[in-house]
Amino acid sequence: MSEDVSIRVKALTKRFDAFVAVDDVSFEVKKGEIFGYLGANGAGKSTTIRILCGLLPVSSGDAEVAGVDVVHKPNAVRHAIGYMSQKFSLYLDLTVAENLEFFGGAYDLFGQTFRTRRDAVMHDLALETLSRELTGSLPGGLRQRLALACALLHEPQVVFLDEPTAGVDPDARRTFWRLIRRLADEGTTIFVTTHYMDEAEYCDRVGLMVAGKLAALDTPEGLKRTFVPGRIYEVQGAMIGEVQKSAADLALLDIEPFGAALHVRVAKDGPDAEKLRSEFTGRGVHVTSVIDAEVTLEDVFLRVVGGAEKTGRAPKEAKGS
Amino acid sequence: MAVAHKEVLHIIRDARAVYMALGLPVVMLMLFGYGISQDVDRIPMSVVDQDRTPASRRMSEALVAGGDFVREPDLASPDDAETALRSGRVKAVLLVPRGFERDLARGVPAAAQLLVDGSDGTTATVALGDAAGILQATSSERAVRASLSAGPRVRVRFNPTMRSTYNMVSGVIVLILAMVASLLSSLTIAREWEQGSMEQLFATPVSRSQIIVGKLIPYTGLGFVQTLLVITVGSYMFGVPIRGSLVTLFGCSMLFLLAMLGTGLIASVIAKSQLVAVQFALMTSYMPVAMISGFMFPIANMPKWLQAISMVVPGRYYLTTLRGVLLKGNGIDVLARDAITLAGFASALLVIAVWRFRRRLA
Repeated sequence: MSEDVSIRVKALTKRFDAFVAVDDVSFEVKKGEIFGYLGANGAGKSTTIRILCGLLPVSSGDAEVAGVDVVHKPNAVRHAIGYMSQKFSLYLDLTVAENLEFFGGAYDLFGQTFRTRRDAVMHDLALETLSRELTGSLPGGLRQRLALACALLHEPQVVFLDEPTAGVDPDARRTFWRLIRRLADEGTTIFVTTHYMDEAEYCDRVGLMVAGKLAALDTPEGLKRTFVPGRIYEVQGAMIGEVQKSAADLALLDIEPFGAALHVRVAKDGPDAEKLRSEFTGRGVHVTSVIDAEVTLEDVFLRVVGGAEKTGRAPKEAKGS
Repeated sequence: MAVAHKEVLHIIRDARAVYMALGLPVVMLMLFGYGISQDVDRIPMSVVDQDRTPASRRMSEALVAGGDFVREPDLASPDDAETALRSGRVKAVLLVPRGFERDLARGVPAAAQLLVDGSDGTTATVALGDAAGILQATSSERAVRASLSAGPRVRVRFNPTMRSTYNMVSGVIVLILAMVASLLSSLTIAREWEQGSMEQLFATPVSRSQIIVGKLIPYTGLGFVQTLLVITVGSYMFGVPIRGSLVTLFGCSMLFLLAMLGTGLIASVIAKSQLVAVQFALMTSYMPVAMISGFMFPIANMPKWLQAISMVVPGRYYLTTLRGVLLKGNGIDVLARDAITLAGFASALLVIAVWRFRRRLA
């Protein structure tokens, strides 16, 4: 494995009886990269993370994390990784300091080494004032920061975060992502799953999981260019049925409901907002406004999942997401 | 050991665990020791004394002096005796007819009667047994003594007064250690599964045996305190003698404790849910100890197949060592076989617990 690759996955497959949770997935993650794993519940995100952490045996394929073959030597990787599982799983009846001390001990950190690291992570994650609080009495955002602190104590090369911001308020989520970015800048590789589309924008690269398959993998910008080419306009005050009638005439590529409005996509060299508005009005389609809109990863996700559904690979609801 | 330290904190934070470990044993000991004594004493008894002579008084006093009977107010006639027994005010009535002393002096069989309430079977049996000895001794001293001296003499060794409390307390010690140890340890790993912290723990370099040993250490300590507590209470409140060596006693107790902790851990490792684990632990430790360890029912009276099953109940061997040390003053020389058996159970169960404990999630 070359120096700058932290995670290498090749033809990874995991079956639970007849259900294929992870289906022939291959990718590489570079050192210091934030790699986002996006997908619906049951798409195979957590299963992939558990395999990479050496917690689940694979059905076939190879996986290397920090230079360790996790398929054959799952125990050898533990010092190199930090893991924050989906379910908040610290000890609620212990204080913040006691949780840190336990996980420090679990990672063989004792004495001065431990104290130095503890003080560092508590400082980084702004937990200093909370050391004597019972973990169970903390709000979600703080618990999540403590869980991250526990996962970072031993300075892992790779950190796996499984839906780290589920159930955390938006403000705390932003703080959390700032911390993640700083970690990555310092050279830690971050592998994070999420189903918040806006969070995926923070990632260097995003893999899109649909029903166990890696349906797309690129930078957020690249994904948008590939899957949602052209321009997007937000059309207010129009009926979707009427807009659809003139879709062929106006060469509209896509019409999606977006909140109370519609997102209408045209080719890159298509009409601008003002032109489109007058075209609609000229055809008797009532619109109140047409404005430029940003392509979001949500648009990408809908395109990718829609494409997968058309080929008969609809994401299934499944346990062990 | 990080795991051990964490586990100590869990125990301290959890008031229920502390109560279960230290409060429950004392409560159980009190219940069994006082309430469920098989000894019958302090039987309420009235006297209908129609003779009113030194001999008749001597007889009623003899019954009360033994401690088995308590004197209730005297009654006037045999009819009153019938009423008193029916109402349940008394369980026994001593009837001494007129002319009792005179008959005694003449050597004619004296016709004193003890009426016993037979509706309470245990009390009746014991009352009859106790009274027969006393009455014979006072009523026809010479004749009876002559006939007795020719027959076999029964002496009960180690527990001459046949106090069932002694047997009860030692049995309860076994029961308590079995129950609390297996219960507490069955909860500990299942709880981590339920809360999801096991997954987190598996992602750290901590090994399976470290987790098991880490959980074992504090609970063994707790069990030690428990043993100390139960034996102290047994000895001070119920006067159970400790005739053998304390070292042997605690050594065997620790072995038994480890076996029970092992049972609980196996339950915990297999079940992954606290509820199922607790039931499994009770079924495999508490029930066998209560039923077929020889605590309540003598093993020799059991059908052969049940006797065979009792061979694999660690409580059986612990009960033998416990009674041996407490009542007989047996040393390790006599108890070596039982102690080794216990050690075998303890190590086998713990090895199984570690072996069955999968590090991976599926």
